[in-house]
Amino acid sequence: MDKLYSLTATQMKDLLDKKEVTSVEITKSVIDRIEKTDKDIQAYITYNFEQALEQAKAADEKRAKGEAVADLAGIPVAVKDNMCTKDLRTTAGSKMLGNFVPPYNATVVEKLLADGAVIIGKTTMDEFAMGSSGENSAFQVARNPWDTSRVPGGSSSGSAATVAASQVPLALGSDTGGSIRQPASLCGIVGMKPTYGAVSRYGLIAYGSSLDQIGPMARTVDDTAMLFKAICGRDKMDATSKDYTYTPYGAGVKGMKLGLPKEYFGEGISAEVKEKIYAAVEVLKAQGAEIVEVSLPSTDYALSAYYIIACAEASSNLGRYDGVKYGYTGSKRGSLEEMYLSSRSEGFGEEVQRRILLGAYVLSSGFYDAYYKKAKMLQKAIRKEFEDALKQCDAIITPLSPTTAFRIGEKSDDPVAMWAGDICTVTLNIAGLPGINVPCGFDSNNMPIGFQVLGPKFSETTLLTIAKCYENTVGGFAVKEF
Amino acid sequence: MNSNYEIVVGLEVHAELSTETKIFCGCKNKFGSEVNTNVCPVCMGLPGTLPVLNEQVVEYAIKMGHALNCKINGTTKHDRKNYFYPDLPKAYQISQFDIPLCENGYLDVLVGDNVKRIGVTRIHIEEDAGKLIHDDKMGGTLADYNRCGVPLIEIVSEPDIRSADEAKAYLDTIHTTLLYLGISDAKMQEGSVRCDVNVSVRPAGSQEFGTRVEMKNVNSFSAAHRAITYEAARQIKVLEAGGEILQETRRWDDVKGVNVLLRSKEDAQDYRYFPDPDLLTFTVPQEKIDELKASIPELPVAKTMRYMADYKLSRADSELLALNKNTAGFFEAVIATGKCEPKSVSNWILGDIYKVLNERRCEITDLALTAENLAEMISLIEKKTISNAAGKTVLEVILDADKDPNEIIKEKGLAQVSDTGALNAIVEKVLANNEKAVADFKNGKTNVVGFLVGQCMKESRGKGNPAMLKDMVVAAIESM
Amino acid sequence: MEIDIKRLAKLGKLSIPEDKIEEFRKKMEDIIQMVENLPDLDTEGSLVDPENTMELRKDEVQPSSPRDEMLKNAPYTAAGCILIPKVVD
Repeated sequence: MDKLYSLTATQMKDLLDKKEVTSVEITKSVIDRIEKTDKDIQAYITYNFEQALEQAKAADEKRAKGEAVADLAGIPVAVKDNMCTKDLRTTAGSKMLGNFVPPYNATVVEKLLADGAVIIGKTTMDEFAMGSSGENSAFQVARNPWDTSRVPGGSSSGSAATVAASQVPLALGSDTGGSIRQPASLCGIVGMKPTYGAVSRYGLIAYGSSLDQIGPMARTVDDTAMLFKAICGRDKMDATSKDYTYTPYGAGVKGMKLGLPKEYFGEGISAEVKEKIYAAVEVLKAQGAEIVEVSLPSTDYALSAYYIIACAEASSNLGRYDGVKYGYTGSKRGSLEEMYLSSRSEGFGEEVQRRILLGAYVLSSGFYDAYYKKAKMLQKAIRKEFEDALKQCDAIITPLSPTTAFRIGEKSDDPVAMWAGDICTVTLNIAGLPGINVPCGFDSNNMPIGFQVLGPKFSETTLLTIAKCYENTVGGFAVKEF
Repeated sequence: MNSNYEIVVGLEVHAELSTETKIFCGCKNKFGSEVNTNVCPVCMGLPGTLPVLNEQVVEYAIKMGHALNCKINGTTKHDRKNYFYPDLPKAYQISQFDIPLCENGYLDVLVGDNVKRIGVTRIHIEEDAGKLIHDDKMGGTLADYNRCGVPLIEIVSEPDIRSADEAKAYLDTIHTTLLYLGISDAKMQEGSVRCDVNVSVRPAGSQEFGTRVEMKNVNSFSAAHRAITYEAARQIKVLEAGGEILQETRRWDDVKGVNVLLRSKEDAQDYRYFPDPDLLTFTVPQEKIDELKASIPELPVAKTMRYMADYKLSRADSELLALNKNTAGFFEAVIATGKCEPKSVSNWILGDIYKVLNERRCEITDLALTAENLAEMISLIEKKTISNAAGKTVLEVILDADKDPNEIIKEKGLAQVSDTGALNAIVEKVLANNEKAVADFKNGKTNVVGFLVGQCMKESRGKGNPAMLKDMVVAAIESM
Repeated sequence: MEIDIKRLAKLGKLSIPEDKIEEFRKKMEDIIQMVENLPDLDTEGSLVDPENTMELRKDEVQPSSPRDEMLKNAPYTAAGCILIPKVVD
């Protein structure tokens, strides 16, 4: 069969179940595709082809014996390089972990392996997930398949790019301030940040622990749901994870109330983006959804609260990279202090160092109350605001990224401009709520636009239903021929 | 000590808890294993790992809180204390900052014959760090992470301590309390209890505190006594010379008996405490807190006071009996039989039995000895059925075998002869053979009666009732 | 607002080259300015969240990891330990 790599995971599963193809055939096709296209996309830091073929073979054998298999059995999945994979290099996109080979698997990786999934490789990302363009990677900058001179978004750059380029059907990303949804939006695919606690963080190399969440990325809603179903649920190794029972979603929005918060449609959002999102809202309205206006006035402050909390946690989380136990060790080892300073200054990139400094600043004696504590108090207020708004509707629709993908290098010297791009996504992480990117067309440069659907805690089923309704109504999402 | 000054001491005691596993992972909490064998990705702080709190740690710490009369904060959290050191794999210690599990308590300790109440500011739970081994041969320092994540409680006292003796009494009482509760091995030599000492001095009668100096590396309670004595004298000398005490941290060198400057106030660390995002708030239900309170046994100081008051035992004996939970329990079990006098029980336990415990390096509960058998043996002495010497023979048997002392007496023929006829014959015989002693007695040297009774005991092969023999010897000489 | 980059670098154990300090300070000040627009909020009280609590773990032993596995990523090891520059305390 031709172009097996371009199938969705749902299609692959059907063919595998009908025994029309084998996982080895699919995996070989995917490997071949990656080998042919990845020099242009640069989606992977580390390939896992040899192991992937073994995993494919094992899945085929299980199916051949007629054993019950999980949905993901034999299906290739890409994993962002900040999730630990036993005996497979895991770098978090940093020189600091350039040679780090974890002795254990992240819980999500264990779950994928237990389901018989095929782990094809580790994807390119901004260093320690700090970035919104992919340009902060210590290794390479992943490209947007729709225009390889443009960024794919970040920090789950490679995961978005590999799925959008039809190298694999599924990828795991992680989202601290928009790192799944924003690259999904910029690459024209579906990406969901689950409710905080819905997916285990054990084995996810931490950036902002109270905000980080792993989630699925795929070209269709069904595929997104398939991957989410495989990874969600409470994990005894993660004290912040919660019981979660996956429930099937529908495709109808009739009678649903969808909120539009005016604060998210202000000056900062490009006219083209706004136009496409209003059009998407009309599509849902035509399917029977009721549109109501809601207000989320604290949104203006969310970006500040986000950067304070994320950087404070990051400055502490990244203390462990000291040249002692693993990872990069500095060129100077004359004394302990020299080893610390050279390891960390040589091992971390500039953006990471900047965030460590900001984190140290907002936690330092005399500034804690004014910054960190105030940001945490603000977080409570934002949560409350979302709770109230979500009492008036089933879900809220907003833009996802203020603009479409920009050119590589365009913003890289202006951290404030770069950080400001996260305005629509960070509130969800602050509030701990789930959100999904739904592709909804293209701008004049033919770059993808997406809208965000967000809902109350553990409302993933509702979000998937709305996304599925839109997908069905518009006849599916465009796939880049590449 | 210069009496123009008063010493003010506050103590921070760190005690390792004797749980099965570490505080945040399932690795064994065990001392003395081969280096880096009780470790896993979590306690080694590998990227991506997360802590999960051990409920036993919380329960043990609450027990200590109850024992030290603290308020228990049933809703609390963990905070990160950030600093770099190679024994701290995550570069932060998971501790508790603004809401300790227990706070506002006190501990009564005995200092001389007085009870002194010392305030306990707080008790919080935290993780221990690893161990650094200095090795010149390797040209560096070796890091062993086995101790990383061993659960600790930190007990912080109020600056209520006014002398090195009070400090020592406080530390000893904390130590016995930990053992009583069964929550720590409290072995100083293994470093499972450690303390930091804060010392200041002020002119006698002053209400304001002087500048305090913190001392690290105080590795035993007797070292604490020496370190406080030294530091107070150092501060007084500085003040007397017109100098000023600087807020600083000093390192105690117990071998040399001096301390040296470790860091001054300017170098004080900024730990940037903040709530650990990997651990959510946790709550302990009030019923659980109450249940733990009900499980607290009578503690050593209370026991000491009770033994002195109820049994009229000396302060020293009471304290010695109360010191060890097993010994105290055994003592009380013997008393509870109602068969014998507390004073005799105390004498036997602290005398012959203690000797055996020391020789065998064991606990009283490790012996076959039962409270019932010891009570019976002592009561037989008190009833004069057997002599004290025969009691020792019985003890030798019942230490290692659960056997009725009455049977032992029968088997070994240890019963005292109290039959006047039989004893009269012995007395007559001894007096006849010791004319000189009899004459001495008559001439007023009445203490020879001891010698004569001894001779009678010898003649009776130890079975004569010595009290009866004494009366009979005196009566016989006087009627001569 | 003057940001003491050297002090922050010391806390974060980073050595920022002298000729880069000014650039860092400039960018940091822009960022601080951005995050400074927080509303007036009461910061009294503690950050406990009794509505979102965690389960505790039973005190049951789980197997530890093989030492070789745990030390395999360390740059320098000796005698079953990680070797670091001499520490004087």
